[in-house]
Amino acid sequence: MLLNFDRLGWWKYILLTITLLTAAFLLLPIVFIAALSFGSSQWLIFPPPGWTLQWYSELFADPRWLESAWTSFKIAVIVTVLSVLLGLVTSFGLVRGSFLFRDALKALFLTPMILPVVVLAVALYAFFLRIGLGGTLIGFVISHLVLALPFSILSISSALEGFDKSIEDAAVLCGASPLEAKIRVTLPAISHGLFSAAVFSFLTSWDEVVVAIFMSSPTLQTLPVKVWATLRQDLTPVVAAASTLLILLTIILMALVAVVRKVLKQ
Amino acid sequence: MSTYSDASAAIAPLPKARRATGFGGVLPALAFVAIFFIAPVAVLLLRSVLEPVPGFGNYAQLIGSATYLKIFANTFIVSGLVTAISLLIGFPVAWALAIMPGRLTSVIFAILLLSMWTNLLARTYAWMVLLQRTGLINKMLIGMGLIDKPLALVNNLTGVTIGMTYIMLPFIILPLYGVIRKIDPSTLQAAALCGANRWQCLTRVLLPLAMPGMAAGALMVFVMSLGYFVTPSLLGGTANMMLAELIAQFVQSLVNWGMGGAAALVLLVVTLSLYAVQLRFVGNQNPGGR
Repeated sequence: MLLNFDRLGWWKYILLTITLLTAAFLLLPIVFIAALSFGSSQWLIFPPPGWTLQWYSELFADPRWLESAWTSFKIAVIVTVLSVLLGLVTSFGLVRGSFLFRDALKALFLTPMILPVVVLAVALYAFFLRIGLGGTLIGFVISHLVLALPFSILSISSALEGFDKSIEDAAVLCGASPLEAKIRVTLPAISHGLFSAAVFSFLTSWDEVVVAIFMSSPTLQTLPVKVWATLRQDLTPVVAAASTLLILLTIILMALVAVVRKVLKQ
Repeated sequence: MSTYSDASAAIAPLPKARRATGFGGVLPALAFVAIFFIAPVAVLLLRSVLEPVPGFGNYAQLIGSATYLKIFANTFIVSGLVTAISLLIGFPVAWALAIMPGRLTSVIFAILLLSMWTNLLARTYAWMVLLQRTGLINKMLIGMGLIDKPLALVNNLTGVTIGMTYIMLPFIILPLYGVIRKIDPSTLQAAALCGANRWQCLTRVLLPLAMPGMAAGALMVFVMSLGYFVTPSLLGGTANMMLAELIAQFVQSLVNWGMGGAAALVLLVVTLSLYAVQLRFVGNQNPGGR
């Protein structure tokens, strides 16, 4: 009866209240920021005295914001491509291959997911200082790839595990070369895994702050680093506008994932 | 003819002699991870026993200083608080999600995922503004007549705890939801038939059955909190520094790689040993901390 919602009696209302309050708690900052970004008060007073697009125009007028957004985007796209390609090759090896320490290797590939990011950030910072990659685009790409690759390997290898290899073999039997069979039969079949790998990799890189703080230089910084640096000085509404755009991107990507999943399932 | 034999070789079960198939596929990633993950972390940890002079001086200094001990204590207190509160809120929510009618559930799931994937800095910024002296939360509390003058909600333990709990909630609700969903309702019916009242059903059947999920979720939240950097440094004051920020400070402002490496090793050892505990409870369910 505790697991039957209709038979919970008045407990039902307690559970419902806690759940709705929690949902409101989770939604509050997101809605609040979006509302503030259109508010006319520079002091972030809520409810704002009036509505304005001023902060957005300030955001788009400042070349440093645009530049950091462009940097973030470039890095995220390169990381996504590399992460999916490397994840694909690695997943084939991990899922199809059979060699010593295969499971240990898989665990090793996933560890960047669980280690505190600050440790990786500091370690890479030291390394890149020495070999001259600090504050460079390549440095950013490498460090974000370390963080994105586990997500990619996880999504692609689980898709590959769910794919029946005998279909690929059948294609080979019908005259396709092994590579051709992989490209024309297996890849489309695991495309949902490739797609989630791409989205996760993109978001991992795009939203990454901690490593980016250490990688950035005065001339090269990503959008989150720019937000971070601005926040340390003051709580200007321009950050609210930038944050709202970041949130909007997240919603679009999430919706895209939902739609693509639905389409691929059919 | 040769195509045919290739295909039949592909279909036939892997012969035992061909041991190391597919290793070539993982080689690029292995090389990448070795050069840009394992080696840098290993070097950092090595420096903790080599710089400025070989030996365990850095560790002695870490343990011997009241300032650093306070930071360790603070890290554990904040992480413990965040874990406890997340569990307390997360359990009823996961329970409700597991049994509620579909439509509402999917709305709440969408909110959970949205908050999880929304940029960390955007969310932290929101709390910085919401919790200010003149912020919405203080205004509401004053408006409701609960307090006379604004409470100090940011740059202290309260601020960090609120901000981090906010971030960790989805990470405890989602695994708990999975565990509660899998509980067989008939076990509870059986308990009720045997005369257990609602409270007994909850404390003696539902909670114990959900225990592995709670332990796993709590450990994960605790470990993630230990290594958190961004939220504590923006919402906590200087008096509330956490371990991750200490590491960053050693390296960035003090340029003391030995101490930075030593503090990093402490964080790594605690993190990895807690993960080992978690793996024993229930298999693997990630993802990591920012």
